[in-house]
Amino acid sequence: MSLKQTVTTPLLKENPLTRNVLGVCAALAITNSLTSSLIMSVAMTTVLVISNATVSLIRHHLPSSVRLIVQITIIASAVTVIDQFLTAYLPAAASTLSVYISLIVTNCIVLGRAETCAMNTGVGRSVLDALGNGLGYSAILIIVSTIRELFGNGSLMGVKILELARDGGWFQPNEMLMLAPSAFFIIGFIVWGIRSWKPEQREQPEFKPLVAPREVEGQ
Amino acid sequence: MNGFIEIFFRSVFIENLALAYFLGMCTFLAVSKQIKTTLGLGVAVIVVEGISVPLNNVIYNLLLRQGALDWMGLGHLDFSFLGLLSQIAVIAAMIQILEMVLNKFVPALYNTLGIYLPLLTVNCAILGASLFMVQRDYTFVESVAYGLGVGVGWALAIVALAGLREKMRYSDIPEGLQGLGITFITTGLISLAFIGLAGIQL
Amino acid sequence: MDKDAPAKAIIVVALVAVVCSSLVSAAVVLLRPIQLNNQLLERSRNIMQLTGLVEPGQALDDANMLALFKSLDIRIVDIDKGEFDDSLDPHTFDQRRAAGDPNYRVSVPAAQDLAKLGTRSRFAAIYLVWKDGQLRRIILPIRGAGMWSMLYGYLALEADFNTVAAASFYEQTETPGLGDQITRPDWLAKWRGRKVYDDLGDPVFAVGPGRIAPDSPAAEHRVDALTGATITGDAVTSLVYYWLGPHGFKPLLNRLREQPPTQAATAATGDS
Repeated sequence: MSLKQTVTTPLLKENPLTRNVLGVCAALAITNSLTSSLIMSVAMTTVLVISNATVSLIRHHLPSSVRLIVQITIIASAVTVIDQFLTAYLPAAASTLSVYISLIVTNCIVLGRAETCAMNTGVGRSVLDALGNGLGYSAILIIVSTIRELFGNGSLMGVKILELARDGGWFQPNEMLMLAPSAFFIIGFIVWGIRSWKPEQREQPEFKPLVAPREVEGQ
Repeated sequence: MNGFIEIFFRSVFIENLALAYFLGMCTFLAVSKQIKTTLGLGVAVIVVEGISVPLNNVIYNLLLRQGALDWMGLGHLDFSFLGLLSQIAVIAAMIQILEMVLNKFVPALYNTLGIYLPLLTVNCAILGASLFMVQRDYTFVESVAYGLGVGVGWALAIVALAGLREKMRYSDIPEGLQGLGITFITTGLISLAFIGLAGIQL
Repeated sequence: MDKDAPAKAIIVVALVAVVCSSLVSAAVVLLRPIQLNNQLLERSRNIMQLTGLVEPGQALDDANMLALFKSLDIRIVDIDKGEFDDSLDPHTFDQRRAAGDPNYRVSVPAAQDLAKLGTRSRFAAIYLVWKDGQLRRIILPIRGAGMWSMLYGYLALEADFNTVAAASFYEQTETPGLGDQITRPDWLAKWRGRKVYDDLGDPVFAVGPGRIAPDSPAAEHRVDALTGATITGDAVTSLVYYWLGPHGFKPLLNRLREQPPTQAATAATGDS
């Protein structure tokens, strides 16, 4: 795989979220505002790059018995440091994201990339891989949050775009989009869209009728 | 005792980690194809939550929180920023130890639960439960109730979803939506229903 | 040494643990002053909005605001006795810490625990706002469990200790877009002028239900509910009930009604 492909493959073809179902929790909880999503994306990508780089750097010295716990420790430290930076420089955003920054630790993408990529690849390529996965994840977060904030609240990044009916405008927001379950629907439809466009990503149906369905007689 | 039961039921039904807080979703969506598998996973989650939440409670209250080190004359120190690091380390270590112990002493159980245990290290439902426990200042007894409650709640939710998915195998779903797509939408519908339960006072 | 030897495993784990925890600790130590400064700024911004000394929308730079904040008349209240307590330094008193401190903590009887606190501090720091030698407002700290999180806020009452002058919530992690609407300035502005006590002196303030018509009798004590945030709204109602009730600040407010407080000599007058 070329270096460029290392970055571009996780954007669509191997997207961590829509293809591999990783890191769903945060995608549901914080995507109701574009600002939160952007900050989350930056935090997530930074953690990914730091953890992939560090794990790749010390991979030859990692005994396999304690591999996981060492990786987790590195990730948790990176997350704590980023959390501290956010509370220091972006206190408002940090308080909105609350536990979800801490939960980056258990975002399977980070550990997944450390385990599958950084453990057996050089530092440079690991970092590129982290960047690609971070961006692929961010792309979905940004798409989902744009839809949710624009149609659920009439604004983008807190700036009013559509004048809301309750403020005397014309736009009646869809309040459901502000609720977390709406993210399930949006991601579900995004998955549908991607798979209609790229049929090779489709899953085989688990059950195939042996005979073609036919009309039941007498109906 | 009342508080114990209240916290338990609240965390099973009302504040269900999977359906109300959307934690542990990766595993929830990926490993919910068959009821049989989800039963094993569910039991593993109950065990891990039931041990890790009280354990983290003890560590947080005796070592990390402000004033916890009073007995050493270090009451002014506040290590709560190490909370996340210690919780995840405790969870990871505990799961690894549990795996070894099961493998050695109860191989039958290891064969059914063993494969799910490593998965749970990066399950946000496990870490999330510990974070919420700290945020809500639970006592030790309450944390036992909470740990068991969230475990049972999560297990119930995933078994329910697997039940739906088993039935859905026979439905005529558009090709691109099959598998992941329809699972997302189904989970969305279940959790919409759960929003109706949020905040009920026991 | 063999990569998988137990000794090596222990060394690697120990090294990683030491390096990681020192990095984390270093970050915390370096960033703590900035975070504390942020907190102080945030707190003074919150309080200043409620004092009525700053025009809404008036831009104040940080230094000016801190100066104004420091000139406020802060008092420590013994909530149980309902009187001021001079034994504690109001500038260093930390109510949140006191709520967890066995020396200061009192438990809230279950029947009265509307705000679902469990325990609360016996003391609270309150703010008295003076202008031209007259008491204008009293700012009370309030908190209570919301749907997801503890809600922290302030309630400012006029000098009649009954009419809401302003309110704010400065810390909460309610559902984004729904429960967190309790921080919306336009909603909080509706609190202004509501009476928190009825004729018998019992707390009656409530959020909702639904939209409150401005000319209805209910409008005297109620503000509009927030769409999609019934539970957070109910929690706000409960916590206001609690803090204005007999286990909260009611004894203090009753006492102040009988013996109006006098302006502390040190506090600035805010005449400017």
